[in-house]
Order: sequence, then structure tokens, then C-alpha cells
Amino acid sequence: MSLPGKRVTRALLSSSILFFFAAFAGAAETTSQIVQVKIGAILASNQGDEFDSRLAHLKKQLEPLKYRSYRLLKEESQKVQRKGNATFDIPGGRSLVVTPQESGTKQLALRVHLQQGGKPLIDTTVRLNSGGNFLLGGPPHEGGALVISISATAQ
Amino acid sequence: MIKRCEDIRDRIGAWMDGELSRSGAEEVRVHLESCPACCEERRQLEKLQASLKAVLVAGPSNVSFERFWSGVEQRINRQRVWHEDFFGWVRDLSTPPQLAWLVPAVIILVLMGMFSLESFFPGSRLAVRRNNFAAVESIDGFGRNVAVLRENETKTTIIWLYQNQEGENESTGEKSDASPSF
Repeated sequence: MSLPGKRVTRALLSSSILFFFAAFAGAAETTSQIVQVKIGAILASNQGDEFDSRLAHLKKQLEPLKYRSYRLLKEESQKVQRKGNATFDIPGGRSLVVTPQESGTKQLALRVHLQQGGKPLIDTTVRLNSGGNFLLGGPPHEGGALVISISATAQ
Repeated sequence: MIKRCEDIRDRIGAWMDGELSRSGAEEVRVHLESCPACCEERRQLEKLQASLKAVLVAGPSNVSFERFWSGVEQRINRQRVWHEDFFGWVRDLSTPPQLAWLVPAVIILVLMGMFSLESFFPGSRLAVRRNNFAAVESIDGFGRNVAVLRENETKTTIIWLYQNQEGENESTGEKSDASPSF
């Protein structure tokens, strides 16, 4: 191979490697101050066979719960500062408080507190990837169970 | 006598080039004076050497370098179009020594690209999905039973709160029809 050809090849390869490495490592180093928290309150029950079309993106995730019917009761999104509280009213007189503890652009730690009529139901701290979600379920509601999908994205 | 002539003829060339020792040279010279056959061999060798020298001296002057230099000049001055350079570069890449390091390098780049794709194009089908599992660092159910399920197929973490305190939901009149059977 000619000398200029070698230089071009080496330059292309090294710049590509640096480019992709930046995508991996660079993002992980920075911290994000604002987190978008999105919740979806879902009624899971065995009454009927309805599957709410707005829950299509969660269908696979809900399948292990083995309920026959899923209906989206409420969907809400809030932007919150790190260590700030995002409070969501949940059907059944409940409230959900989500507090981002640590937030990088790739991973987030969330403190999630669910209460009903001033009585705490659950308090948990969860670490998840930015843009990822998890399900919190169990509280009874309208003859079924309430399932809350909680996702968070660093911005 | 024949064996001696053969021995001398083998050494005539070296004798003519002055490569023999004094005694060896003297031996060859004395033999050549007395042996017409070997003397003839010497004359043949001398003629051959003279012919070769003539060719080597006269040769270069007969060669015309004009066409050669004009060809070199043409190649230097010719403007190569970009695709000629590109295809030349690609052709060079496909030689075995280049392929030896190029193939693993390309595989690494493709893999890195697939893993990075999610950063540039979130939700891309080609992107390798990151682990969506949420890690539960702490959990308090305030006396209730809590189950944590990690569903492998969708990499989803499910936290399930069991209402196991009697009469807990009597005030709201709510009752769950069934707990999930994970």
C-alpha cells in the first residue's frame, strides 16, 4: 500500500475508534441536573379482556403479571431537578413521590415513595438506565390491582 | 595427458583474469606453450571475452531512454480523478497483509458502532439494547410483603406490594380480585 493510502487508513480507523469511544465514555462522565420522570398508572384486572392500545409499548412487560385486562388510567410526565421531588396523584387517593438521587446521562438512582391517605405503602430506591423503566404494582383498585410504570430520562 | 589438459582448461579463465597463484599461473603458461589444443581453448575464451566486452560497452548507447522519460513525465503530470485514487486505495486494502489487521479492526468497529447506536439513535432496531434491569438498592414495605421480580425476556424489574394487612383497604372498599402468579 502506498504511504498516503496507509495514512488515510490509519486516520480513518483511529478517528472512528475515538468517535465511538467518546459515545461510550464521554457520556458516562457528565452528570445531568434535570430528569424527566414519566409515570403510567395502569389498572390490571381479570374483568374482561381489554388491552388498552396506549399500553402497546408495555405489553411484553405486563405479560408476566398474568392479568387478563389492562387499562391506562393516567399518564403524566414531570421534569425535576436532582434531589427535587416529582409528585404524582395516583388513582385511589394515592400519591407517588419520585426523587432523583444521582443522575448521570446513562444511569439514574430514583427514590420512589408511594403513600395512601398519608400512610406510606412502599419506599424504595432503584437504580436504572436513563430512558429505562420499572413496574411498581400491587395496591388494589376497582377490583383489580394498580400497576405503575415509572421511567426516568436524564436530560 | 588428457586429464592434465582438462585440469588446465578448467583454470584458463582464472589464469586470464589473474586469479591464480604465481606457481599455478606459471604451470598454466608453460602448458599452453606446449599444447595446441589448450592454446586453442584459450583463444576461444579470449574471443568470447572480447565479444562480451563489446556488447556491454556499446549496449547502453543504443538504448533510447526518451520514451521511458516521456512516459514518467506523463504519469507525473496526469491529473488522476478521485475515483481512481479511491479504487486504488481499496485495492491496496484487499491485499493479504492489509486484510490481516483490517478484518479484525472492521469487526471491532462494527461491534462498537452497534453498541454506540443507541446513544446516537435511541430506539434504533440495529442498536444493541442496554440492560433495562433496574437494580433495587433498598426497599421498605412498611410491614407488607414485597416481591421483586426480574423478568428476563424484557429485562424488566417488577416490584409487587402484597396487601397482607387485614382490613387495610376496608376504608376505601377496595379489594384486589387476585394477586399475580408470576
